[in-house]
Amino acid sequence: MGATFLAFGAAVAEAGLALGWALACTGAVYGMAGQLVLLQVTATGGAALPATIAATAANARFLPMAVAIAPLLGRRRLRWLALPFIAITPWAAGMRAMPALPDARRLPWFLGFALASWCVAMAATAAGHLAAPALPVAFRAALLFANPLYFALLLAADAGRPGVAPALIAGVLAAPLAWGIGGAWGLPAAGLLGGTLAFLLRRHWPGRPR
Amino acid sequence: MTQADLALGLTVLVGLLLRGAGLLLGGALRPDHPAIAWASTVSVATLAAFVTLAIAAPSGLLATVPLAARLAGLAGGALAWRAFGSRLLPAMLGGLATLLLARLATG
Repeated sequence: MGATFLAFGAAVAEAGLALGWALACTGAVYGMAGQLVLLQVTATGGAALPATIAATAANARFLPMAVAIAPLLGRRRLRWLALPFIAITPWAAGMRAMPALPDARRLPWFLGFALASWCVAMAATAAGHLAAPALPVAFRAALLFANPLYFALLLAADAGRPGVAPALIAGVLAAPLAWGIGGAWGLPAAGLLGGTLAFLLRRHWPGRPR
Repeated sequence: MTQADLALGLTVLVGLLLRGAGLLLGGALRPDHPAIAWASTVSVATLAAFVTLAIAAPSGLLATVPLAARLAGLAGGALAWRAFGSRLLPAMLGGLATLLLARLATG
């Protein structure tokens, strides 16, 4: 996880945005897929609206993740403290560890783990941003490749889960559309169109579960 | 306020709303509800489109790396992923090392 935030910090520096922007993005968005898409669209001069739509589409998994983890966080008001930390690393660890814990210990466990991983993410982002300008060009370019590679591996590993492969193929096939549209609207248009088509195909494919 | 700052603020806000809606709906909606399934599918498709563009047609400094080197980096990462028991860190190191070597080889 730290490596992806290190690479993100370097990418923000490469885009000419300030360390404060990088830290605010990691600290408050705290979802690498959306962070990368947001950076990609804004760094190429995109307006705020398409950048927000694209980043939100990339981070739309926050919704199903929160739905899935909500029963483990209990019904007390204090569960809202977990809100900004529902992100892939704490979520995956929480979904694995919390069912084995007594109810009263689940929320404190999640908050402790999430806060620790959030601090690592912030430190790695700052390190990447500060170190990037001092690196040779070839290494900076390799760092910029780290996050696309990371997500390519994750998506490929997830392809066996129900519903992922059609969405993955739709996204890859929709990429030329994003490139063709170009500018800030290309990526959100491709993601929404490709994802919606994959969803509809899966729901209405003969013999598939609804 | 720049467009980048505004986009960041809006993305943070919408992200919190999505998470908040999920916490409120947890227990009321099944994880396979159509709205949840649609959000998951759009998320994967957007990410897949982003990764495809970032590898095939990147902008900025990454665009100075030849396509052959980028594809070699991807292949190196996938091979390391299989060789090291699906562990991410060795896979990424393998992919990045392959990218650097391929860049050297392709000039």
